[in-house]
Amino acid sequence: MEPKDTGEVTRRDTLIKIGLGSVAVAGCGAAAFGYQFLSPNVLYEPSPIANVGKPDRFPLDSVTPDLVAGIYVIHAPEGFYALTATCTHLGCLTAWKPDLGIIACPCHGSKFNRHGVKIDGPAPKPLAWLKVWVSDDGDLLVDRSSIVPAEQFVRV
Amino acid sequence: MSDQKPFQAAIESDSRKAPVRVAFVTRRTSPQVKAEAGEYVMTWPEGIFRALVACEALAIVLVAMSLFWDAPLEGLADPMQTPNPAKAPWYFLGLQELLHYFPPVVGGVLIPTLVILALVVIPYFNVNIQAEGLWTRDRLKRIRIFTIVALVLIVFLIFFEVWAVLAPTVLIGLVMLFAARDVNQAGRFRRWLALRPLSFWIMTWFLVTASLLTAIGTFFRGPGWSWVWPWREY
Amino acid sequence: MPPTIEGYWNDQRGTKVWRSVFRSGTGSSTLHRALAVQQNVFLHLASVKMRRRSLAFSATWYLGTLTLATFLILTGTGILLMLYYHPSVPQAYADMKDLQFVVSAGIFLRNLHRWSAHAMVFLVFAHMFKVFYRGAYRPPREFNWVIGVVLLLVTLFLSYTGYLLPWDQLAFWAITVGANIMSAVPVLGRKMRFLMLGGNGVNANALLRFYVLHCVILPLAAVVLIAVHFWRIRKDGGLYTGQAETDAGGSPVQVNE
Repeated sequence: MEPKDTGEVTRRDTLIKIGLGSVAVAGCGAAAFGYQFLSPNVLYEPSPIANVGKPDRFPLDSVTPDLVAGIYVIHAPEGFYALTATCTHLGCLTAWKPDLGIIACPCHGSKFNRHGVKIDGPAPKPLAWLKVWVSDDGDLLVDRSSIVPAEQFVRV
Repeated sequence: MSDQKPFQAAIESDSRKAPVRVAFVTRRTSPQVKAEAGEYVMTWPEGIFRALVACEALAIVLVAMSLFWDAPLEGLADPMQTPNPAKAPWYFLGLQELLHYFPPVVGGVLIPTLVILALVVIPYFNVNIQAEGLWTRDRLKRIRIFTIVALVLIVFLIFFEVWAVLAPTVLIGLVMLFAARDVNQAGRFRRWLALRPLSFWIMTWFLVTASLLTAIGTFFRGPGWSWVWPWREY
Repeated sequence: MPPTIEGYWNDQRGTKVWRSVFRSGTGSSTLHRALAVQQNVFLHLASVKMRRRSLAFSATWYLGTLTLATFLILTGTGILLMLYYHPSVPQAYADMKDLQFVVSAGIFLRNLHRWSAHAMVFLVFAHMFKVFYRGAYRPPREFNWVIGVVLLLVTLFLSYTGYLLPWDQLAFWAITVGANIMSAVPVLGRKMRFLMLGGNGVNANALLRFYVLHCVILPLAAVVLIAVHFWRIRKDGGLYTGQAETDAGGSPVQVNE
């Protein structure tokens, strides 16, 4: 490139700037549209809201696993709550051990009590408490995508 | 090169146009020895920029088309209901029109195979390599041969009632006869026509026939492959 | 920090990292321009220099270039469309509806793919006719012409296999008719049809087979043949420039040997 002695802008420079600018704009546009194209607008997955039925299905002090939804529905003296059954370590499905009264993960030996608090193993966090509410028909609904603070109970 | 040397030697002496190289190449080697005279330019940026401009023009046309015209999508495939007419994609409609006149073995297998074979062997025939004008030598003799071949073809087409091929055949035949007339007092166009080699006439015949068959299959065929006039409502 | 964008880029080009990637450097000297082609893995299929005559529009109408361009557009849009398409029956049709109504820019990409496909078939024929009428098939370019005819067949077969994928009435019956024409081949016809469809009729197997043909096998074949096609252009002495078509007497003259 020859150095410009004067400050004058040539037609070639302007056209090059316009050209490169258009390419940049087109590139940004393509990136934006590309991102929108790649992220699906519709998901063919089951809804995160699980309907576990009428509350009187669950006796007092029971821990009921729902493997399809991947949750535990627990009827405590204070009320109803739900825990995620997905281990917080690396995502395996935990199992409820009624004889031992604990939730145990088969993959790396993490153990949780019925409040989701970790008692043993490499899991970094307690099992999440999920949002629970009663529908208009009187069914218990659990939203697996909504995490609520622990020790929040739903009285029916 | 009148004395039959087994090799050719070529030296490019203008080192600004090409690097100095000496090549001894026997007759049947693939690289070309004679560097063609002509100004050389750098592929980058001249060649590549021009190619990019051409591609950009094409992209603009295609994107504009895609923004305004939707590709067709009919109902879900139903093996129990054949649409009427059931048409192939446009580049096969010429073939489908041909199937209207000939049985599938001829129209669907034989003719396409012959066409492909004919295309493949074009560059291996000396008559195409020499490419001398069809009417520049032995004019009267060639007119006689041409008339016989043309009549045989026309009779064949009439017998099978292949009007769609008959029309362009007759048309091209007439143009060829027009080109065959004595060029002594002729204008530039007739002189140019007389210089066209046989391969030109055959390929032009093929191009016109294929285009006409495709056009008929696209616009002039309706339910049951019956003849329709596209501007009429049925 | 230099005050202009151009100054910034010039500084970047001087850094060690940049020079480790782009070793030939940039510039407008003949050497730099030669290296830009010769040292580039993608571009060095082309020659460093070309005859100015081949660049004229009237020489080739750029039909070969445009055919390659449509092929590249089809590959790009095709890959993107593959992300939302399941080659199963009847999911394929539902995916077409998805692409048209649900997926962002889905309808645009589908349209672009379809029109580019028609354009490619048209351009490939136009390219063939242009090469023929110029006489660019003559020795030493005979075999490149044959490769071109094979590429024509690959293009047609690519278009044919792609035609089935929407799984609508148009697709299903067009392919049924085509497959039945193939069965008219004497002796081997029915077997060829059976192998091509993976069954006796156009069903789930046929869709999957056509999908693999359309997305993997035929594009790979096309890429290999295109590479050979370009390589032959170089080996045959560059693009045909049609020099000295007739001598003084008016009869055509063979230019390259």
